[in-house]
Amino acid sequence: MPDTQVLVNDFLNKLKKRKIEGSQATARQTAELLRSVISQQRVPYTNQAGALIDAVKAVGEQLIAANPVELAVGNIVRRVLHIIREEDLSLTTAAIGGLNLSAVSDDENDDDRDGDSTLSAAAVAAAARSTLRPPSLQTLLEDTPVSAAVPQTSSSGGDSEGKSKSADKSSRSRKLKHDVIEAVNELIQDIVTCHEQIAEQAVEHIHQNEVILTLGSSRTVLEFLFAAKEKKRSFRVFVAEGAPRYQGHLLAKELVARGLQTTLITDSAVFAMISRVNMVIVGAHAVMANGGVIAPVGMNLVALAAQKHAVPFVVLAGSHKLCPLYPHNPEVLLNELRSPSELLDFGEFSDCMDFGSGSGSPLLHVVNPAFDYVPPKLVSLFITDTGGHNPSYMYRLIADYYSADDLVVQRRATAGN
Amino acid sequence: MWHRSASFILDKNQNDTVYPADSVTLTPPPPSSISTPQNPNPNLNRNMSMSAYYQTRAAHHGVVTSDWLAQSQEAATRAVVTGGQEIVDGGKSGRAFSVIDEFNNWRKQPDLAEAVAAIRALAAVIRNSEAKTMMELEIELKKASDSLKSWDTTSISLTAGCDLFMRYVTRTSALEYEDFNSARSRLIERAEKFGEISYKARKIIAMLSQDFIFDGCTILVHGFSRVVMEVLKMAAQNKKLFRVLCTEGRPDRSGLRLANELAKLDVPVKLLIDSAVAYTMDEVDMVFVGADGVVESGGIINMMGTYQIALVAHSMNKPVYVAAESYKFARLYPLDQKDMGPALRPIDFGVPIPSKVEVETSARDYTPPQYLTLLFTDLGVLTPSVVSDELIQLYL
Repeated sequence: MPDTQVLVNDFLNKLKKRKIEGSQATARQTAELLRSVISQQRVPYTNQAGALIDAVKAVGEQLIAANPVELAVGNIVRRVLHIIREEDLSLTTAAIGGLNLSAVSDDENDDDRDGDSTLSAAAVAAAARSTLRPPSLQTLLEDTPVSAAVPQTSSSGGDSEGKSKSADKSSRSRKLKHDVIEAVNELIQDIVTCHEQIAEQAVEHIHQNEVILTLGSSRTVLEFLFAAKEKKRSFRVFVAEGAPRYQGHLLAKELVARGLQTTLITDSAVFAMISRVNMVIVGAHAVMANGGVIAPVGMNLVALAAQKHAVPFVVLAGSHKLCPLYPHNPEVLLNELRSPSELLDFGEFSDCMDFGSGSGSPLLHVVNPAFDYVPPKLVSLFITDTGGHNPSYMYRLIADYYSADDLVVQRRATAGN
Repeated sequence: MWHRSASFILDKNQNDTVYPADSVTLTPPPPSSISTPQNPNPNLNRNMSMSAYYQTRAAHHGVVTSDWLAQSQEAATRAVVTGGQEIVDGGKSGRAFSVIDEFNNWRKQPDLAEAVAAIRALAAVIRNSEAKTMMELEIELKKASDSLKSWDTTSISLTAGCDLFMRYVTRTSALEYEDFNSARSRLIERAEKFGEISYKARKIIAMLSQDFIFDGCTILVHGFSRVVMEVLKMAAQNKKLFRVLCTEGRPDRSGLRLANELAKLDVPVKLLIDSAVAYTMDEVDMVFVGADGVVESGGIINMMGTYQIALVAHSMNKPVYVAAESYKFARLYPLDQKDMGPALRPIDFGVPIPSKVEVETSARDYTPPQYLTLLFTDLGVLTPSVVSDELIQLYL
């Protein structure tokens, strides 16, 4: 544990000082950190899943608090929690399926729980499975203590197994951790290869003699355009420079190095040029549950221009960017204000911005937000590593990747688990 | 003008002939509160079938006098007697009668949702039934649920609640219960628990919507929805600073009742007449409405005026939030306003209207999903497109 604590503190520092750039790097490092937390965590014989979930939640809470604007951290924490629950469930179903009915009904836990000792194993497994799906109309009328059911099931399964075979028990506890770590490895693999998987779909969307507009620089967009170029599609790219960081300049350079015809424009010229564009392809910082997009500043402008001229607005986002939260005030709560020095030269403007002189409050304020919120109605298509989707389809992906219990990552004080 | 073709002439003739055959109508009680005991709209008595659902809602939330209430209750029981005898097929008269009776008893409680009343009534059917197998029980329940639905065709949460319970029964019987009696007692227990679920649902919805109410915001509310009331109550308890603009909600004036309740909570309230919504929309930050039913497209059916408000809000880019419990999801897909069964409610204009003049008495309208931003339900925060997904999972 002290080993992981050092790692955790290290990572927390990096997050707080904004040393890690980009959601992919953040996501990968978060996943690796959680993997070491899980492998170091000692689990008791019963209710291993609960212990793992607690450990991950404890670390996750700190990570999210360190940089709340970097949503990828929270996403990965929740993905890992969902993985733990899923692996536990599949192990439990396998275990219960192996037992006969009498063993289950003999179990005191079962009797206490719903006083109905004649429930078949299939019914218990079905009830436990429903805990993983978000609450739905189907499960509305079913038994209420659903979130507590999973650990209880696993513990009752563990107990009755213990009655028969004790060797199985220890192997089962090792199996859960092993399975979880394997699944987390797959997750890391997915994060690392998300660019390739998205780029594979480039050929379906970019056809001949097209004009594509993008803003700023996104590695996903770069790979996407390269993949289309590999497949011999001919197209031109308009790059909006993306003030104040001017990352569009870097993107333009890379595109030219690859042999693509590129035009560089200012952000203010987007409305003027949009009518000559066939498609807008951009990257995103995060995608919210309602289909809204948190993107580098200036994106809302491009999206509005695209809507006005009926140009498809395509957003490329890896699945680690998908966030299960609904934005209720995204311009404020999910935004970061960066240094004014990116806009103004301190030397020239030192008089106007002087906090020390006079009344202590200067007349000139500089606001430099890092992100923009694009509402879902402006987005035509999301391309993720699983394929192309409508903004209104995002909730489905969220239901696949996340559990409803994990929306608020907080270690529960009660001993419910 | 009233319809797109001259078909309104044909419709009127049809209405006149249809009415006598319809035996489940309630004759609307004459208004007694006003000093001039004139019948303000003679059309009312002629071809009006008053929606029982809206009558009950008016009884709960509108500003009514006790006379009117007593007369409406009398009219309701009179209709039940005639209705029960009509619906019955020989032999089971006692049971069909008691379902509707039972339902009415539950429904009279102001705090209880429609669907909960329906499910409790069905639970009573199970209790009184003498079936020995699940199939028999299911058949009885189906009959009872059909009679409930046909007694009041206008109430969507009633239909949805009955359907939900029937689905649950069908699915539960598929699980192996070795003993019929234990299965039966479990069904009854779940049905009674449903009342708690509905209570908890309102709390969950209130908690989910807290984040969306920020300090200093102005909320526009239409009609009296108990769920929205819960949302605002919780926000007030959490010491959020907000103010509420509340439409009058003619003709049952449920907005006045809401304004009363909010004033008790020390929330600043401003009353508007229904026509003043567009006038005040630019100072509004969000619109909060409840729903009588949520349909498959993700749109809602709610008190008359909701569609109007949603249109105005949409054109001024204000979010429209709907607070609805999940058992209000119904398998309807209205294509336009007239596509639903009519739910009529008499309007008292205070002065006599000549008999030649028609009155639009529909009590509800349909708001299409593109004007709604988010739905707060006990299943979580949903966008309108999720609703059909949920319904498909349940019914298919």
